[in-house]
Amino acid sequence: MSFCDTCVVRNSAICAALDASEIGALSTIGRRRTLQPGQSLLWEGEDSILVANVIEGLLKLSTGTEDGREQIVGVVYPSDFIGRPFGSTTAHSVTALTEAKVCVFSRADFDAFAHSHPKLEHKLLERTLAELDRTRRWMLLLGRKNASERIASFLLEIAERMMPQGCGHAPAMQQQQFELPFSRQQIADVLGLTIETVSRQLTKLKAEGIIDLPSRRAVVILDPETLLERAG
Amino acid sequence: MNAADDCCLSGVMWPYFPELLAKPVPRYTSFPTAAEFADGVCPSDVFAALEQARGEISLYVHIPFCESICWYCGCNTGAANRRQRLASYLDSLYHEIVMIGSRLPRSASIRHVAFGGGSPNAIAPTDFVRLMDTLTLHFRLTDPVISIELDPRTLNESWGAVMGGIGATRASLGVQTFAPHLQVAIGREQPMKEIARSVALLRKVGIASLNFDLMYGLPGQIMDDLVHTIETTVAMGADRVALFGYAHVPHLIPRQRRIDASALPGQYERFRMAERGYRMFVDQGYQPVGFDHFALPGDALAQASLSGRLHRNFQGFTDDDAPVTIGLGASAISSFPQLIVQNEKNSGRYRMMLSQDQLPVSKGVFRLAGDRLRGRIIERLLCHGQARVDRAILTEVYPGIAPFIEKGLLVAEEGKLVIPPAGLAYARAIASQFDPYRAGSPSRFSSAV
Repeated sequence: MSFCDTCVVRNSAICAALDASEIGALSTIGRRRTLQPGQSLLWEGEDSILVANVIEGLLKLSTGTEDGREQIVGVVYPSDFIGRPFGSTTAHSVTALTEAKVCVFSRADFDAFAHSHPKLEHKLLERTLAELDRTRRWMLLLGRKNASERIASFLLEIAERMMPQGCGHAPAMQQQQFELPFSRQQIADVLGLTIETVSRQLTKLKAEGIIDLPSRRAVVILDPETLLERAG
Repeated sequence: MNAADDCCLSGVMWPYFPELLAKPVPRYTSFPTAAEFADGVCPSDVFAALEQARGEISLYVHIPFCESICWYCGCNTGAANRRQRLASYLDSLYHEIVMIGSRLPRSASIRHVAFGGGSPNAIAPTDFVRLMDTLTLHFRLTDPVISIELDPRTLNESWGAVMGGIGATRASLGVQTFAPHLQVAIGREQPMKEIARSVALLRKVGIASLNFDLMYGLPGQIMDDLVHTIETTVAMGADRVALFGYAHVPHLIPRQRRIDASALPGQYERFRMAERGYRMFVDQGYQPVGFDHFALPGDALAQASLSGRLHRNFQGFTDDDAPVTIGLGASAISSFPQLIVQNEKNSGRYRMMLSQDQLPVSKGVFRLAGDRLRGRIIERLLCHGQARVDRAILTEVYPGIAPFIEKGLLVAEEGKLVIPPAGLAYARAIASQFDPYRAGSPSRFSSAV
């Protein structure tokens, strides 16, 4: 039984476009990896420009800046396709925030495979557009000067990605509860803020009754409309 | 030629003085022009200019590939026949984007992103989206105006999804002519149906400003061919039109040797074609922009023209008034207040320089105070048909502009020079009188009309 047959994101990841025989072929060019929190995705060997599928867990996408600083440019969730090439010869890296399982491909191999499988190629285009959209929203997020706006946008973004999307969901109507898969420090890193600012902003939102923080990681969005306003 | 046809159109006929159009002149898409670019600009100059960049910034990205290359084309491009070659180029482009993006101040705000070539749609749709993603990331793009030059022959539904997905609102199609026999003569066959299909697709995905590039002076072209092409262009609803005179310079552009030079219209015919084109578009309600561009009144370019906010840049007339343009890719040109710089033209050398972590700077020119002053005059003359000129410069250029004044093609008012409607076709020739560098080899430039 191939790995793909039992994969939990078989029907929601980009490979959902492939049938049983095609998925067999794809699985031979992919490699499964399990990562511990803080571990980056690396590839041994020459072909080190990679793309990946997220099977479980959350990972952060970052670029290294010229002066060695890391800039976090996105967060990916199960069934996301990491289409932006990363690896040892690119400026981008992928690092697990929680324990994570991914399926990794050399970008050249994946592109060649997609080129001979039109449905997959179409999905690849869709996923790449979705990734662009995430990047654009992330730039908007970072472009907000206000810490309060960043925290609010961030919470909404996480809620949207973590909430099971039913058809015709109406987030404004329901209370949303989720577990933040990050520590305060990780949130600070992701948003380019200090840990003190993050804690202060979260406490403030709780004091105003917009969110509740029942435990260290749990967040309940009590007032989605106001949170949306705060996001700017 | 039927003189009566010419006279029944509105407006004054353009007077024809071949001796004033004889000398080839630059297009003045920058000042100093590319003819003045030389060695002497190095990466540290570019980094300094980037770090000092203030205000709005525009990006230009060059994709030097085409599915098939038209015989007339002087653009920097090559065949897109090997995926690996395209992939390597794009990897180098990403590298350049990272290097440049990291040096821009955080306060820099990118308002326009333009893609040109070659044909930006010669690369795979997914690769174009990845390119856009890279630009978004490293230039922190939020919501710039995106414009793209496109080859209608390879524009399919996937490209429609790309245009819509990235939020492009402006596009330009290389149409040139609708006459099938002329298309054959210039190596660019694209049936009208294909253009119409492309237009429909682009409108559907949100392109609000659509430009057609058209050409006159093509081998074997007669006035009726141009008239028909213009009528079709108007009927298809082009928001902007750039009507270029074909420049036959096979000694500079070897691929033009495939074009039958014996069938080229003579200078008088070219002149009348340019004039006919001008009057047809004006009669159809287009706002003239300079003498060879046109835009519908609601289009941003027309509005810039009417409100005195028009500028020249490497893509021609523009409503973009950003003081800094960063050019990315092989042969791309960057423009800063103090400096113009061009990247290496050859894709292979471009890639090699970047693989060594070197900015792919080839040549350029520093803008001195005198250059900036004259550049402004030249730009004002070409964009708005008038410019304030101080006494010192006026005295210096007077011998050169006197023949134009004598023939009513230029008017000297108090502290100002004005090009009246009759002098429109002579705008570049007049502007060149302000260019102290133009006493170079005339064969480097294109003919004035």
